[in-house]
Amino acid sequence: MERFTLKKLIHMISQREISSAELVSMYFERIKKYDHFLNSFITLNQESAEEQSLIADKKIHAGNYDLLTGIPYASKDIFCTKGIKTTCASKMLENFIPPYDSTVINQIKNSGAILMGKTNMDEFAMGSSNETSYFGPVYNPWDLERSPGGSSGGSAAAVASGIIPIALGTDTGGSIRQPAAFTGITGLKPTYGRCSRYGMVAFASSLDQAGLLALTAEDIAIFLETMSGFDPLDSTSVEEAVPQYSDFVHNSIEGKIIGLPKEFFNNSLDSDSQRILNQGIEIYEKLGAKITEISLPNVGYSVPTYYVVASAECSSNLARYDGIRYGYRDDDTKDLDDLYRTNRQIGFGDEVKRRIMTGTYVLSAGYYDAYYLKAQKVRQLISNDFTEAFKEVDLIVGPTTQSPAFSIGEKIDDPVSMYMNDIYTISSNLAGLPALSHPVGFIDKLPIGMQLIAPHFQESQLLNFCHLFQQETDFHLQQPQPFLDD
Amino acid sequence: MTVKKSDINHICDLSKLRIDENEISIFTKQISDILNMINELEQADTNNIKPMAHPMNMSQRLRKDEAILNNDRDLFQENAIDSEDGFYKVPKVID
Repeated sequence: MERFTLKKLIHMISQREISSAELVSMYFERIKKYDHFLNSFITLNQESAEEQSLIADKKIHAGNYDLLTGIPYASKDIFCTKGIKTTCASKMLENFIPPYDSTVINQIKNSGAILMGKTNMDEFAMGSSNETSYFGPVYNPWDLERSPGGSSGGSAAAVASGIIPIALGTDTGGSIRQPAAFTGITGLKPTYGRCSRYGMVAFASSLDQAGLLALTAEDIAIFLETMSGFDPLDSTSVEEAVPQYSDFVHNSIEGKIIGLPKEFFNNSLDSDSQRILNQGIEIYEKLGAKITEISLPNVGYSVPTYYVVASAECSSNLARYDGIRYGYRDDDTKDLDDLYRTNRQIGFGDEVKRRIMTGTYVLSAGYYDAYYLKAQKVRQLISNDFTEAFKEVDLIVGPTTQSPAFSIGEKIDDPVSMYMNDIYTISSNLAGLPALSHPVGFIDKLPIGMQLIAPHFQESQLLNFCHLFQQETDFHLQQPQPFLDD
Repeated sequence: MTVKKSDINHICDLSKLRIDENEISIFTKQISDILNMINELEQADTNNIKPMAHPMNMSQRLRKDEAILNNDRDLFQENAIDSEDGFYKVPKVID
C-alpha cells in the first residue's frame, strides 16, 4: 500500500489522475481494511464525505477550485464538528453532538478539504499513550503491541499507516510531537495563539494548541496556511499575519545557528537515541547550520510546573461537566449533589479524575501560593531561559522522547512514570513556543523523533529546517511493515 | 508530602467527584506520588519573579460592549438529557 503525501494528492487532483470521489472512496477502503488493527478512528463521516467529494469534483471539473478542494483529512475527536459526534474519547461526551463547528474545522471546510472522521485520543487529551480513551487504546502501526503515544495517538497511527494523508491534533504538553515521534511521522505544535482554540474542547487553556500530523514538513506547511490566523471568538488568539509557509520551506539554512541544550542531552536519554540524534545533527551541519551548546537552566522544572498549571486549569475547565445541559446523565440519582457526583464518577475515567483531583488540591485553600503561584513563577523562569537562548541561536534542537514507543500496559498504572514521557516537550508549551518533531532514525525497527523549537511565530523556520532535512534523508518515507502488503 | 484518605475525600467534595471505597487507597498513593514529584519546585529560586499567567504575557482582549443576539436555546437543548419548555430538569433541590 502506497502512502501518499498531501502534495502528491494535490498534484494527482490537478492533473485529473484521480477524482475526489475516487480518493475519498480509496481512503475509506483503507480505513475499513486496516483500522480494526489500529483503532485510530472513533467516528467516520462517510456519507457526508462522499457527498462532498461529488461537489468537489464538479468544482474541479469546472476549473473553479482551491489547492485543498476534495482532499481527505481527519480530525482528532476534540474539535467540535457541527452535527458530528465529538466525544473527546470520554464516556462523558459519548453522545455529544456539537451545535457548531470549531473555527479550525470551519477554516479547513472553507479550504475545500473533506473531513473523513474523528480520531481516537486519550480522554480529554489527558495521557501520553492513548490508553486512557473510553473507546480503547490505539495500536502503533510499527508494532501493534506498542503505544502510538498520546494524546493525539489516533491521528498519528492513521497518518503513519497511510489510511489518511494528514490529521489534526492538539498539543498541551507534547500530544502532537510525542505520537509523531513514536509513529515515525512529522508533527507540528504551532505558537500558542497561532490557531484558534474556539470549539476545541478545553483541557488547559493557557497551554492547548491545535496543530498537524503528516508525512512531511511540506504537507504541514500547505495545511497550516488554511488553519492559522486571528479569531475574534478566541480571546487568546493573536493578531499576527500568516505567512505562506510553503514558500519558505526551500530557503537555505546556511549559517543559521542551532542550539543544543545540555539539559536535553543528559542521562535521561538512552544511548541509542543519543547516537541517532547526533547523526541527525550532523545532517543539519551538512546543510550549513552551525551547532553550539546552550543551557536552559530551569528546564528541569518543566514537568512539575506543567502538572500544577495543567491540572489546575483542567480542574477548572472540567467543572462544567455536570450532566445537566449536555454530557453523561445517570437517571438514578436521589438529589442534586448525588447527580453531580454520579455523573462525574461514571462519566470520567481514572486519569481525568486524577488530574481534576491534583488541580483541585493545588488550588485549594492553604495550598494556592505554595503550588499554583510557585508554578506560575517557575513557568516565567523557564520562559526567560528560552528568551535568553534565542538571543544567541535561531533554533533549538533536542530529542522528542527518551526512547522509542513503549509497550501498551507498561506505564499506565504509574502516573508519574507516564508524565515523565513529556520531559522534553512540555517546556515549549509552558513558554508558548512553536515546536516540531520529525523522524531521525530507528532503534530495533521503531522510529525515533528529533525535536526542533523556534521563537514565537517562527513556524516557517521549523518547517524550512525540517523540509531540507527530509530532502537529504528518507526516514520519513519508511513505512510500517504490517501495512506494506496489499 | 503525603496526602491522607481524608484529603482525598475533601478534594472529592470540592470537585464533586466520587471514588469507590476500594479505590481510595490507590488514588491516595497516586496523588501522593504526583505531589512528591511536584514538590521539586520548592528548589527553584523564584525571588523577585512575577507569576506568568499567559504564555505570551498578553492581557485579556475584550470585545466591544455591544448587545448581540446569540440565543440558540432549542438547538443547544438538543444535547440535554432532560429538558422541558426551555428549562433543564434536575432532581428536586428544595423540599
